[in-house]
Amino acid sequence: MLPKRFDQARPFATLGIILLAWLLLPLVLKTFTRATFFEIQAPLTVTDSYAQDLQTFWSNRLHSKDELLKAGQDMAGLFAAYDYSKQINQETESDILRLENMLNLPPLPTFRFEPARVARRDFSGWWQRMIIRKGENYGITVGAPVIFAGGVVGRVTEVYHYTSVVDLITSPTFRLAASVSGESRPVSYQGGLNDSFKSPRGTVEFVPLDIFATRSLPKHLVTSGLGGVFPPGLTIGDITTLEPSADGLFKTGEVSLDERLGTLTEVTVLVPLNPEEF
Amino acid sequence: MRRVDPRWFIVFLANLLLWWLVSTANHYLARFSFLWIDYCSIHLYVGGLFGVYSALRLDSKQGWIVISLTGLILDSLEPVPFGTHVILLGLVHATLLYGRRRFPREGAIFGIVVALFANLFLVIALSFLMVGTNPRPGEAWLRIFVDLLASQFVLLVITPWFQALQERAMEMARIHPTTGRRVAF
Repeated sequence: MLPKRFDQARPFATLGIILLAWLLLPLVLKTFTRATFFEIQAPLTVTDSYAQDLQTFWSNRLHSKDELLKAGQDMAGLFAAYDYSKQINQETESDILRLENMLNLPPLPTFRFEPARVARRDFSGWWQRMIIRKGENYGITVGAPVIFAGGVVGRVTEVYHYTSVVDLITSPTFRLAASVSGESRPVSYQGGLNDSFKSPRGTVEFVPLDIFATRSLPKHLVTSGLGGVFPPGLTIGDITTLEPSADGLFKTGEVSLDERLGTLTEVTVLVPLNPEEF
Repeated sequence: MRRVDPRWFIVFLANLLLWWLVSTANHYLARFSFLWIDYCSIHLYVGGLFGVYSALRLDSKQGWIVISLTGLILDSLEPVPFGTHVILLGLVHATLLYGRRRFPREGAIFGIVVALFANLFLVIALSFLMVGTNPRPGEAWLRIFVDLLASQFVLLVITPWFQALQERAMEMARIHPTTGRRVAF
């Protein structure tokens, strides 16, 4: 029989053994276990998301015919506007192609647009992530940019069989090379200012001293297209404050982000068509 | 023939149910309006509750199985180093196992107190681990504090229900949680 003192300490001895076994476990096994446990719970998340879609469908069925007719008229107006934008876009693309050929420039990165439903939002002070309902089955890749109508949503960080995890632009782990709209000089953007009762904000660093921004005269911040997978010109947010950094060489400030990021139900993943370009 | 002991499975399923309910709540609490406040965002964390029943009612071996599996599920879902929850929940579990003989472990009030303290420990430990990446840790702590208050309040409300759920599941399976023997309720 074990001495009484050891018997009392047995729970901690067991924990020590588990800890030791964990430390000695090869990384491949840990990665495999993580993926396995994620896939175990994935059906719960996805089923829940489909149930929400069904709920929305049935609540939409309750709309009257008058409401639907009104919505149809609004949609017709939007379609006309989009048709015009499409023509302009085609023309611009052909101009770009012509210039690329004339100047012998390398082609711009091209993407496939993959719309995906948001299955789960997980916004805390530690991290800001969401799970989308598409994964390897739709060719989603790790690092792919995720966007919505208001600009950048985030970046795909984990891809599973039929779900993917997106690290949001509001997350403290999210960093991106950006630029002030109309400028070519790059600045550094980082998320992470997520108060409980204020809309999300990010921070911006290495802003040149000749750029000014205030709450009443904010500067639009967009992706720079440098050092990453994000194409240039996508909206990040608005720089609302700028003040000199501690070294006095640059400015740092706050970026106000889109409030809709917290209620997104559908996003678009930009799947690179030539991943080797990135 | 050796009988299969399903206690760990019952408690693990209950933990999975709780995780699903809380993450569904977090999905909707990511952004909402409340009274005159247009923008609210709250994240509930109830990790402390996962370890209460397994440490206070199950035997040591079954408890360790439940804690390990629950920890692995949480680790697979959150961007923490894999194994963090296994170790943190394991530490809570070991501490409770060490002292459980001295306490009225079948009482609901004691369960609530344990859940609240365990949750507080887990939130603080996770915060120290994660807050370093934030560009302004001071503001992050403020958000974590608000989330912690909300989580503790939710824990206060749901712990008696969750304990009763696990107890009832054991009754339905006609198994005594500590001994694993078949019992007639």
